[in-house]
Formats: sequence, C-alpha cells, structure tokens
Amino acid sequence: MILRKSKNKDDVVIKVSHVSKHFNVYYDKANTLKERMIFFNRNKKEVRNVLQDINLEIKKGETVALIGVNGSGKSTLLKLLTKIIYPNSGTIEIKGKLTSLLELGAGFHPDFSGRENIYFNASIFGLNKTQIDKRIDDIIAFSELGEYIDNPIRTYSSGMYMRLAFAVAINVDADILLIDEVLAVGDQHFQEKCLNKMKELKSEGKTMVFVSHSMDAVKFLCDRSVWLYNGKIREDGNTDKVIKEYLKECA
Amino acid sequence: MKLFKELYQYREFLKTSIRKEFRGKYKKSFLGVLWSFINPLLQLLVYALVFPFIMRVQVENYTMFLVVTLIPWNFFNATVCQSTSTIIASSGIIKKVYFPREILPISNVTSNLLNFLISCIIIVAALFISGIGIGPSIIYLPIIVLLQYIFSLAISFILSSITVYIRDLEYFVSVLMMLWFYLTPVLYEITMIPAKFRAIFNLNPMVHIITAYRDILYYQKTPDMLVIFGMLGGCILLLVLGYFIFNKCEKKFAEEL
Repeated sequence: MILRKSKNKDDVVIKVSHVSKHFNVYYDKANTLKERMIFFNRNKKEVRNVLQDINLEIKKGETVALIGVNGSGKSTLLKLLTKIIYPNSGTIEIKGKLTSLLELGAGFHPDFSGRENIYFNASIFGLNKTQIDKRIDDIIAFSELGEYIDNPIRTYSSGMYMRLAFAVAINVDADILLIDEVLAVGDQHFQEKCLNKMKELKSEGKTMVFVSHSMDAVKFLCDRSVWLYNGKIREDGNTDKVIKEYLKECA
Repeated sequence: MKLFKELYQYREFLKTSIRKEFRGKYKKSFLGVLWSFINPLLQLLVYALVFPFIMRVQVENYTMFLVVTLIPWNFFNATVCQSTSTIIASSGIIKKVYFPREILPISNVTSNLLNFLISCIIIVAALFISGIGIGPSIIYLPIIVLLQYIFSLAISFILSSITVYIRDLEYFVSVLMMLWFYLTPVLYEITMIPAKFRAIFNLNPMVHIITAYRDILYYQKTPDMLVIFGMLGGCILLLVLGYFIFNKCEKKFAEEL
C-alpha cells in the first residue's frame, strides 16, 4: 500500500473541495444560561466569512506556500487542514500522517525539564515512547540546547523555548508538514538552519504547506504558491509568478 | 473503529495525560498522594461519628457499613465533578493541536479510577481489622468496578462536552451531586426506603452499583447478577449515546473555548 503510494508521485495527499468557513462574531457574548435568558436581545452576532469556496489539491512531495495579507484566511485554512476546526461546508481529505507547526510548544509544562517536555510534546503529536526514545538525541542536537536540556523550561529564554519546540516538531517524521510563520523568532543562524532542514525534508519527498510573509523564504523553499485574498484563492501557480503579482498589488 | 485506532496511536499521550492528572492533583501539597488515604479517612470519621452517635442510626458495625460504599461513591463523585472542567481546562492545547479529544474525559475517569484503587487499600485493611475479612464473593468486584467505570465515562463524555457550551453546568452539577448522594443508599440501606417509593429509587443506576458493593464486601454475598448484567447493557448503551453527543460537540470546541 505504502509502496504503491510512493511510486506514484502524482498522488494527491491534500484535497480541499468547495470549503467554506465562517465564524460567528458576537459583540457581547452571553456565556451562561442566565445571561442568555436575560440578555436574549444582546446576542447580536455578525457572520464573518473567512474562507469561501476554496478548492485546492496538493500532491505528494509538493512544497506549497500560502501567501496573502493579514486576515486573508491563511491560518484558518491551516487549522482546517489539521482538524482543529471543521469547515461549514465542503470536504477535506488528507492522506498520510500530518503534523502542524501552527503554535509551537503545545503542552509544554514550565516546571518540567526540556527533556521531559520533549516527551509531553511529542506524545501530543501521536508518537509513542520507543519512537521518542529513538529521536531524542536528534531533537536535542537540533535544538542546540546542550546541557540546558535538563533545566526546567521556565528558565529558558524565548529563543531557547522556540528552538526546542521547533526541534520536536520537525523531528516528528510526518508525511505532511504544515508550518505557520514560526521562524519569526530565533536568530539568523537558527532560521537558516530551519530553512535548510525544511529543504532537506523536501528532498526526502515530504509534502509541506508553508505560510510566511518572508518572500525570500518562500522563494527559497517553495515551487508553488497560493495567494489568498479575502478568503478566496486569487492566484495559484509558479512561485515567482505569484509573488510578482502579489507584490504588485501590495505596492 | 477509527476511534480505537487513533486512541492506540495516541496511547503515549493518553498515558502522560493520566499521569499528569493523577500527579498534578496533589502536586503543591506537602503530603502528596497520601491525601488519597487521608481524605477518605477523615470523611469517614465524620460520618462514623455523626450517624451512630448524633443521629442514632441502628446499624450493626456502622463504620464498616459505610466504608464499603463511601469510597466507591467518592470515585463517582470526583469523576463527575471534574468532568465539567476537563475540556475547558485543556483549552490551550485544544486550540493548538489536533489529537483525539476523547482522551481528555478518558484520562479524567482513569486517573480517578487509579485513585480509587489506591483508596481500596483502606477498605481491605478495614475489612480485616474489623474481622469481616474477604469472602469468595470478591470475584464479582471487578465486574462492578468495570460497570461503574463505564457509567462514569458515559457521564463524563456528556458533561465535559456540554459544559463548553453551557458554562452554568459546572455549578449546577456540584449541587446535583449532593442530592444524588442522599438519593443513593450510601449512608443507609435501600430497604429503609418505603416500598412504594422503591420503584422510583431503583431508576437510579448508582443504587444498584452501591448496593452491589455492599453485598459483596459487607454481607459477602453474590450481588443480583440479573440486575448487574442488565445494568451493564444499559451503561454500554449510555456510553454510546455519550460518545455520540461528545462527537457532535467536539467539532466546535476550538471555536467556543
């Protein structure tokens, strides 16, 4: 089964068809029953369409960038792909193991050491103990934390925290990686290291969806870009071409 | 089926989550896990003083009569009371990553089960000290514990998911549990209830579970197996219903929290 899949390079691993998502924005939400009964007229809400009729197919091994201004629905689309939220209409099909680097360090506990937190964090990504044992040296090496790994992470600087979180997420060994503007922290050296690691994963045939405002990173990593504009796909195609159009609009 | 496969895949997270909840409960206290013993012992002391001496309950060996039911009840009570906050307390990770959300109620009930099993040492010790001992009827005990686990899990599924939408439930449940406690024969015998009300009382599943504990441990006789198997069927149905409700609700957790 897996063999057949890897042979056929053109396999679609992410298929988004006719997906729409809206959020109800309450002005003053009545959360308890009492408030609901007393302020029944206060429950005014506004429906905000975040994504409208999105169609997207991503094939195995592709590295796709999502670009667009703030509020254009990039993060919402990634959240839909990870199944943190569900679409109001349309369907999303995913083939293979998917890991998201939406928010790094989920489940990190400040009082525990870096090493223990690697176990917590990796277990949330669905790894079992033996799998984590096998990867732990790679993770620690990648994080460059050295001896600090056994200190409680509340003593870490924000850069160290980020490095540890990224090191876990990148070593989860998923088929599909979703990455949301997480490189903003970290120094130049670590950013480059992450980009190179992602390039390496790309050459191993992993599928990646990458959200970034850094056009240099997008050009470095992605062959294909999708430009989201007001919840719709405005442009989809070769990175150089899409970025040129996008920058023209932004200017 | 898909659920079991996912739960198996995320078993490490399930384990850490149970461990965290179990250890985290007494983390900041000096006596730590010892509270699993001290708490029920003190509670027991209160009831064992109030009922025979102040209320003049005429039951032979009342302390033992109480031990075998109060500790199982505490297991149920703690599970239900905590279930209302299980999802809300984990809102941080729910909004960040995907994992089977069912893990949260499951680890709530399981960590309380572990706590209960530790407290069972009190029951066993008390049974030997008082001279009652343990009879062959003990072999039925695992069935009753399983039954209670399934029932608690079903309730935990329902309450944990609905509380996300109606936050009042949290406060309502704690009052309801007090009423439920007095409607269940923990402090008294079901035969003390007038026969005409008995039928209504019997609708409460906890009546049968608690009575079974007392039959097995205090009277050392076989519980009414017909009732137990009927309950087992009913609780499994309730669990399926609870899971269905949870499944309906979980899709919007990340947005509602």
